[in-house]
Amino acid sequence: MTTISLDNTKYKAEIRQKTAKPLLWIGLISIVMFFAGLTSALIVSKSNSIWIKLEVPSMFFVSTLIILFSSLTYQLSLSFTKNNQLKFATITTILTFVLGISFTVTQFYAWQQLYESGIFWAGEQSNPSGSYFYALTALHLLHLFAGLISLLVVVTKSILKKYSPTNVLGIQLSLTYWHFLTALWVYLFFFLKFIA
Amino acid sequence: MSAHQHPHEEQDFLFKYVFSQDHKMISKQFLITGFIMGFIGLSMSTLFRLQLGFPGESFWIIDFLLGSWAENGVMLPDKYLALVTMHGTIMVFFLLTAGLSGTFSNLLIPLQIGARDMASGFLNMLSYWFFFVSSVIMLISLGVEGGAASAGWTIYPPLSALPQSIPGSGLGMTLWLVSMAIFIASSLLGSLNYIVTILNLRTKGMTMTRLPLTIWSFLITAIVGVISFPVLLAAALLLVFDRSFGTSFYLSDIYIGGQVLEHSGGSPILFEHLFWFLGHPEVYIVLLPALGITSEIVSTMSRKPIFGYRAMITSMLAIGFLSAIVWGHHMFVTGMNPFLGAVFTFTTLLIAIPSAVKVFNYITTLWKGNIKFSPAMLFSIGLVSTFISGGLTGLILGDSALDINVHDTYFVVGHFHIVMGLSGIFGMIAGVYHWFPKLFGRMLNNKLGNLHFWITIVSSYGIFFPMHFLGLAGVPRRYYTNSEFPLFDNLLDINTLITWFAILAFAGQLIFFFNFVYSALRGPKAPQNPWKANSLEWTTGVKHIHGNWPGEIPAVYRWPYDYSKVNENGDYVTGEDFIPQIVPLGEGELDGGGH
Repeated sequence: MTTISLDNTKYKAEIRQKTAKPLLWIGLISIVMFFAGLTSALIVSKSNSIWIKLEVPSMFFVSTLIILFSSLTYQLSLSFTKNNQLKFATITTILTFVLGISFTVTQFYAWQQLYESGIFWAGEQSNPSGSYFYALTALHLLHLFAGLISLLVVVTKSILKKYSPTNVLGIQLSLTYWHFLTALWVYLFFFLKFIA
Repeated sequence: MSAHQHPHEEQDFLFKYVFSQDHKMISKQFLITGFIMGFIGLSMSTLFRLQLGFPGESFWIIDFLLGSWAENGVMLPDKYLALVTMHGTIMVFFLLTAGLSGTFSNLLIPLQIGARDMASGFLNMLSYWFFFVSSVIMLISLGVEGGAASAGWTIYPPLSALPQSIPGSGLGMTLWLVSMAIFIASSLLGSLNYIVTILNLRTKGMTMTRLPLTIWSFLITAIVGVISFPVLLAAALLLVFDRSFGTSFYLSDIYIGGQVLEHSGGSPILFEHLFWFLGHPEVYIVLLPALGITSEIVSTMSRKPIFGYRAMITSMLAIGFLSAIVWGHHMFVTGMNPFLGAVFTFTTLLIAIPSAVKVFNYITTLWKGNIKFSPAMLFSIGLVSTFISGGLTGLILGDSALDINVHDTYFVVGHFHIVMGLSGIFGMIAGVYHWFPKLFGRMLNNKLGNLHFWITIVSSYGIFFPMHFLGLAGVPRRYYTNSEFPLFDNLLDINTLITWFAILAFAGQLIFFFNFVYSALRGPKAPQNPWKANSLEWTTGVKHIHGNWPGEIPAVYRWPYDYSKVNENGDYVTGEDFIPQIVPLGEGELDGGGH
């Protein structure tokens, strides 16, 4: 009788191929529920009489453009890899990473804008309407850090030429997550602009 | 090394027993950690029952076990609250969520669907270790200054949001939140794995309608968990922000010691919405696996196909769906718009339909069955009993007009302990008796098992049934003592009786723990298929190997409930009263489950 080894690389690769994407998708559902909880909380809080309608800081527009662009560059990187244009793939992946960092920077600038216009995260002069602005965007950014880490892995593997037109699962996973972050941001942006 | 042995057999101790990625070992880790937590939770309840049954009386055991939490053998009022809070938290989350789902989902999913392991062994290992760390933090919180969290397991603000409000709201509450955040991560990692494994790694022929009902229940539980636990995490994070950074999500216009606090604009009711959006599905996260386990046991031990296999799946799906739209019934007295209250009443009462379908299916499966009263079967029938008696009071509490009268009384305590506590624990214990041979390769002692069952069923009804009368008489829950109110003087005897039953229940569990430990080490060796069951886990060897089946994974040809199947002449099709799933269908033979 043959012995089955779970250390068998082929077996592992087969299981990964079958399960990695569904694992990610169900993970994304849980993140959707997390933000659904938070944004529903905001809607409940809004009914309070001292709720203040706030303007979205202009920097958030810049953030939106940057993250939309980064999704595009990352998608291009996958196409380049599939077409075996690995050099372009590496460049676009690095570009995506740089855009991710830029997005982070714009978030900090936006918070500064909020702070300067007298909207505080916490304390005596704060109001839940302002706190939600900070909380929602900061929690999105926290998820984006995970995306940046995955990008860093993809960048490194790209430079080391670990990907090929038939071996793109790693990029696809990271890309799906990155698109998700973009979609989540766009949702939060419009939510903060029109609902909050 | 023999042909059957596997390279993993020679793994280091550390990777085989501690940081294992093998689902069977992880299952045992969940079970043992869950049981240790459960024992601590059980002991806490026995201790605070002493205070309720004999208010103000001195007990050496309280002095001995509680130390500075008691004075002259009487527990301190604020520590009573801490014990109640920790009892609830530990039982609901650590025993009946992680202990129950973690153990049986891990053990049975790969074995019953025919997979070598979970989709991701690594995430599975992380899931256990997150659970372990959260358990340790929760226990450490018992020893910090001010004591453990004391705001009840529902940790409503402002009590939980203001560190200065009560002693347990300080570091104890902070640790509670940290522990629960890690617990939620553990639960989510587990659920991801369960869902993906069930959907993607089934063996050949294992269609969704040939899955054992255990697997269906674990699948629906995991889906409910993925949808509801993140919302609790969101609620807890906002609470952390309020506590530690001074935001006002849940706080407004609060005075402490005549001083107005600077928080404004928030609402504690918001927390209740977010909490119960998890909190009610949580009831079904506890209950569904127990129902799945008992479906399997009732069918196997009645030697009859489960009645209404598809109806069982549909009703579990319906329960899972409805569980997400009923949370408002916990909040009828929060000033909720009566119209909204009526909506929640309606959705809540709807749950009675799928629940009743399940109960009838259990009873009709038992009907005229060739019943084998193993301890697992006794506990399964016990579950059917508690599911009915607890469910009936659910109709009263689900109706806003009636609920308002008994809200926050012992009626509620009696209700949820029977329908969720007892049903969950009965399902879990039934599972342990039934799959002990698969877990440890040995048999539990049946006589001790039967004794355990009868003590448990009598004492637990003895505890929770009279509580309904206390509740109807208006006795509020969470009070340290009822002897301060002349109104309740004539009810003290009931409280004393309940406490005696609680002590009996505790003693009954000691029998179980002895049986468990002794049999795991010294019990008689188990045969491969001790219950003559059909599902795939009994086709694996008694000795665990990584990968589960030494050769190819067997293919499946039929549903798992072909018990006592007869041909036109009235003879058993295969000469025995069971046909394992791996036996191909005979010529002209129909598969069960509606195939």
